[in-house]
Amino acid sequence: MKIDQPILLNVESAPGSATVMASGRQRFKETGLLGVLLALGFLLTIFGGSLEERNRDTGSTNTVNKFLRADNLGNLAKDTSFFAIMAVGATGVIITGGIDLSVGSMYCLAAVCGAMFLNYFGPQGPGAGASPFWVVPGAIAICLGTGTLCGLLNGLGVVGLRVHPFVITLGTMAIYRGVAFVMTKAQAFTSFPEQFTDGLIRHQINWQGASLYPVPLAIMIGVTVLAGWYFKHAVTGRHIFAVGGNEQASLFSGLPVNRVKLKVYAFSGCTAGIAAMIMLGYYGSASSDAGKGYELDVIAAAVVGGASLTGGRGTALGALLGALTIQMINNGIVILNIDQNYSQIIIGAVIVLAVLLDRINGTLRDKRLARAARSARETQQELAS
Amino acid sequence: METAAKISMKTKQFLASLTVIYLAALFVTGCEQKKAGPVANDAAGSTPKKTEYTFALVAKSQSNPVFQAARTGAEDAAVELGKKLGVKITVLWRTPNEDDAQQQVNFIEQLVLQGVDGISVSCSEAETLTPAIDKAVEQGVQVMCFDSDAPASQRFCYYGTDDLECGHTIMRELAAVLGPGKHVVAIPGGNQNARNIRNRIKGALDEATNYPNISIRGVYYSKEVPQDAAAKIEEVQTANPDIDGWAMVGSWSLFTDALLKWEPGKVKIVAMDALPAELPYVQKAVVAKLFAQQTYQWGWQSVELLTEKVIEGRNPPAIEYSPLIPVTQTNLDEFAQNWKKWLRE
Repeated sequence: MKIDQPILLNVESAPGSATVMASGRQRFKETGLLGVLLALGFLLTIFGGSLEERNRDTGSTNTVNKFLRADNLGNLAKDTSFFAIMAVGATGVIITGGIDLSVGSMYCLAAVCGAMFLNYFGPQGPGAGASPFWVVPGAIAICLGTGTLCGLLNGLGVVGLRVHPFVITLGTMAIYRGVAFVMTKAQAFTSFPEQFTDGLIRHQINWQGASLYPVPLAIMIGVTVLAGWYFKHAVTGRHIFAVGGNEQASLFSGLPVNRVKLKVYAFSGCTAGIAAMIMLGYYGSASSDAGKGYELDVIAAAVVGGASLTGGRGTALGALLGALTIQMINNGIVILNIDQNYSQIIIGAVIVLAVLLDRINGTLRDKRLARAARSARETQQELAS
Repeated sequence: METAAKISMKTKQFLASLTVIYLAALFVTGCEQKKAGPVANDAAGSTPKKTEYTFALVAKSQSNPVFQAARTGAEDAAVELGKKLGVKITVLWRTPNEDDAQQQVNFIEQLVLQGVDGISVSCSEAETLTPAIDKAVEQGVQVMCFDSDAPASQRFCYYGTDDLECGHTIMRELAAVLGPGKHVVAIPGGNQNARNIRNRIKGALDEATNYPNISIRGVYYSKEVPQDAAAKIEEVQTANPDIDGWAMVGSWSLFTDALLKWEPGKVKIVAMDALPAELPYVQKAVVAKLFAQQTYQWGWQSVELLTEKVIEGRNPPAIEYSPLIPVTQTNLDEFAQNWKKWLRE
């Protein structure tokens, strides 16, 4: 019985083999990313310096570390949440071997639809005075619904037209932003009901004299945990890896490949809608230029988090850590007072480094697998003889 | 056979001569027409020669509301000046959805082919636009710049904000609001490539040297998208709580309401522009003073200056700066009313 697993690993074309190989490697990748984050945090704590802070409640002053301040960490978590949530969705698409370039535009369209609704029922809108008990859930439903619908359309394009997702989502990237532009007539929509902004998404808690906004953080963790569980433990979640590992083999094994693809694109749209909802609540405005260029940030977060653009690999936790890594670098540039002009170079270098690390890991994995297969063959031969 | 060959040769020679004469005539006519453009304009005097004129405005971006006000201004000016001069002035609006200098070049080339009488352009990138402007002028179309200039081009004039002075004004006012004592100030930078923002930053930094009590923590760039700009400012302020003043030479972050939660007066802010979304910041005293650019006038003056040059044959001054309008709590309501007109609400 002990020899079953090595034999399966040796059959590289079998559907699911990539999955089996991936899990161990992914854990290693996340451990590596956690190490990078800890190292970054350590460097920022040491070199970021400290400052005198006055407690708003007591009035007393004390010296605090610039990076480890609750305010700074809270802000870092908030900034990460938008990208991390979308990166989790994008990771699902990437695992199937696809790509979603329309993430930023779906985010924009979902935000604009939600913003127009909230503006209508806002304090200066014609529907002012409507009950927040249905306006707030309505706004959430509009954001999530718009995002999911956009994602579903992407999926239908990919599956129905059998065109490479790069082309389909490149087209819808322009279409969705164009629709947002036509709808808004280039105007920003503001003035939303307080129950949605300060009462929900921007709900503030004071902790050790710092103002923290826990809702974006809670949603980010919730989305990551749910998606992580789905990818790893749900049968339909495992199908995503199978399709990304070997689409042809999955098809011949009877897996519903098209349905799997539709699901991941719809999920990607849904996460863009969730991020749009948080953005609306936190910033209290939306216009047709919202989320411009986010697609690259989101894909970068997923790739840094270990998702392979060739498919078959990636995790929700990795996407979150990837987004956090990029945001920590941004934060570090500000804390260390590095010239802002260098930020793009630094972030670009980190992405290249992550891919390089991935390649090195891949080579090491292949060597490990070859060794395991050799030893399994030898064991089989010994048993046979 | 010989005679037939001779006749055929003569016919060929005749046809060739006709072709040469035709081509020569075409060439001469073309040259005449090319010369005729500017001459006709120069000789136009104060009375219009045509009854219908078409001017085009090429702004930077459709998604920026300041240009919507400029469009309204241009359309209003076309109606009023047309009535005054007894001509029909049509305004064409050709603006990319987002900042895109290359698309602006395409629009200018198309407009020249379309035969417009004049173009007013706000340059996303002066260097990219200069050859297109020069080519249009050489083809007899009068071109001016508004909001963002292309000084090395053959445009006949520029109308808009003096960006360098604008930076000086923002920093001077912020210094006055901050008062005596040591202060740390930051500047949001927007897009590093935008010439007007670069000039404003330069002006602000130059002005800051006059105040030894003010130290500049840094210039912080971000996408010129409200949410991104607000996120950057929050990040910088959180990482540097000793910053007590923001010289907002660009105020994209104020198009959101994220900074409205700042304690009024704790961090002093003086900012450019006074768009509808920014006005609550003054109302709640989070922002001490806004400096509005005359965005409606960008459009109005564009049509007026093109009318002067193309229809009346006069030469306006090469550079005309529009002053900034300070907006504080005292004139806030009055200024808010303008936007209703400018956005045709």
